[in-house]
Amino acid sequence: MLKVNGIDVYYGKVQALFDVSIEVGDREIVSIIGANGAGKTTLMKSIMGINKPKNGTIEYNGQVISGLPPHKVVSKKIVYIPEGREIFPNMTVQENLEMGAYSVKLSKAEMERHLEEQYEIFPRLKERAKQKAGSMSGGEQQMLAIARGLMSDPELLMLDEPSLGLAPVIVDDMFDVIVRVNKVRNIPIAIVEQNAFMAMSISDRTYVLEVGNLVTHGESKTLMDSDEIKKAYLGG
Amino acid sequence: MQVFVQLLITGIAMGFIYALVGIEYTLIWNATGLLNFSHDKFILFGAYMFAGTYVLGLGLPPVLAILFAVLTMFLFGIVSAFVIFNPLSKLSTNLFAVIGTVILGRIMIESVRLIWGPLPFTLDNFLRGSIHFGSVVVSKAHLVIIVVCSLITAGLQVFFKTTKTGKAMRCVSENKTAASLMGINVPMNIAFTIGLSAIVCATIGILVIPIFNVELQMSSMIGLKGFASGVIGGFGYLPGAIVGGILLGVVEIFGSMLIPSVYKDCLSFVLLIIFLLVRPSGILGNKR
Repeated sequence: MLKVNGIDVYYGKVQALFDVSIEVGDREIVSIIGANGAGKTTLMKSIMGINKPKNGTIEYNGQVISGLPPHKVVSKKIVYIPEGREIFPNMTVQENLEMGAYSVKLSKAEMERHLEEQYEIFPRLKERAKQKAGSMSGGEQQMLAIARGLMSDPELLMLDEPSLGLAPVIVDDMFDVIVRVNKVRNIPIAIVEQNAFMAMSISDRTYVLEVGNLVTHGESKTLMDSDEIKKAYLGG
Repeated sequence: MQVFVQLLITGIAMGFIYALVGIEYTLIWNATGLLNFSHDKFILFGAYMFAGTYVLGLGLPPVLAILFAVLTMFLFGIVSAFVIFNPLSKLSTNLFAVIGTVILGRIMIESVRLIWGPLPFTLDNFLRGSIHFGSVVVSKAHLVIIVVCSLITAGLQVFFKTTKTGKAMRCVSENKTAASLMGINVPMNIAFTIGLSAIVCATIGILVIPIFNVELQMSSMIGLKGFASGVIGGFGYLPGAIVGGILLGVVEIFGSMLIPSVYKDCLSFVLLIIFLLVRPSGILGNKR
């Protein structure tokens, strides 16, 4: 479905990604793990068109999408839930959700149905529908970010550090939701995480990034048993 | 008593003008993080376009002329967004874009001088005369200003709260990256906001014609006072600009009863300095 073919990405003169290739197939969950500064977020932003790769291409369903501006990428039904939530703090929870559906044309009834769907998955958001999004806790804001992403019926969902700054109990909930979205909606999910154990245990395949280079990739189960990965990312 | 009411109405009318100026530059500030230093020239341009070209030049009836002037200014705003605001704000510092707006203002005022000439003129039958309510006499211009400005401020609130484009503008002003990830075409949206700001500018320009006539300096003082009203009400916050503007208009008109009226213009800036010292966040500054 999504194919990243050997991209080089620069911030000014500093190269952030070196010849990185990944692939996300139909229905699978793919995790991308690595330490701080490994280039995980850069990779996501390059797919979304926020960063432009200098070399290499990005293909989605056979079409080249590298070089398109972000709003055009979104219109291909690729949704990226950025690191640190990036919700609209001064808008209400419901307005945030409605903006999630900006790229698709929905009638009033359809909008209601989409909102109800999100409220079913995230009941906390329903209680807070009329509240300013910025007044919610970090976990609730993360829920909102995911719900907002789902409003446009994505065909590929990419999550950036969904567990960042959340209490351990909430992290479990979060990953449950991600797996459920993958199963119920039958859409592929790419997930970038520092919490390597969590990400690997819910994903089918894993890519490992180190300072801008792809060092290894494979089935998550196999990788979790490899000594190197255990040592570097899973704490022993 | 009747003097009080008359003064109050005049004060509120001027206050609404300042409020609109506050709104007009706050729109651009929120969308781009830039102060539009050519905003008073936008007002000037709108007034000349309406009076000079559409009414006196082409002889259109006022309603049609207003429509055309507003539309022309909207397009002008969009063009200036793609020529100045969007490309220059991508550069390493905001300084380029700020200087860009200053230069745009110079170009505009010199074009006005070239196109319409340096001499002041006015429209004789446009919003002249007064209306009597019992013993209270109110000038037509002030009344129209109050009505039109209230409609515009209310209209903008509805626009931002209910329409898709309006909501998208709020998203862009809160978080540009997230807005683009929602599928919003951010540069286009910013251009639209600047077009909207230009519409408000044109309206201000047209409304103040009966008060200041059409001349090259007509908008410089209201431009500055509108800026002050935004700061006094709460910078970057639309309801703040309205509150600040009306306060300024009323204080100014009653102040001019107490002090010689040549110092009238000082009052707003004294108020501005007091607010900057005592309450820099403005009246409604911490409410958002």
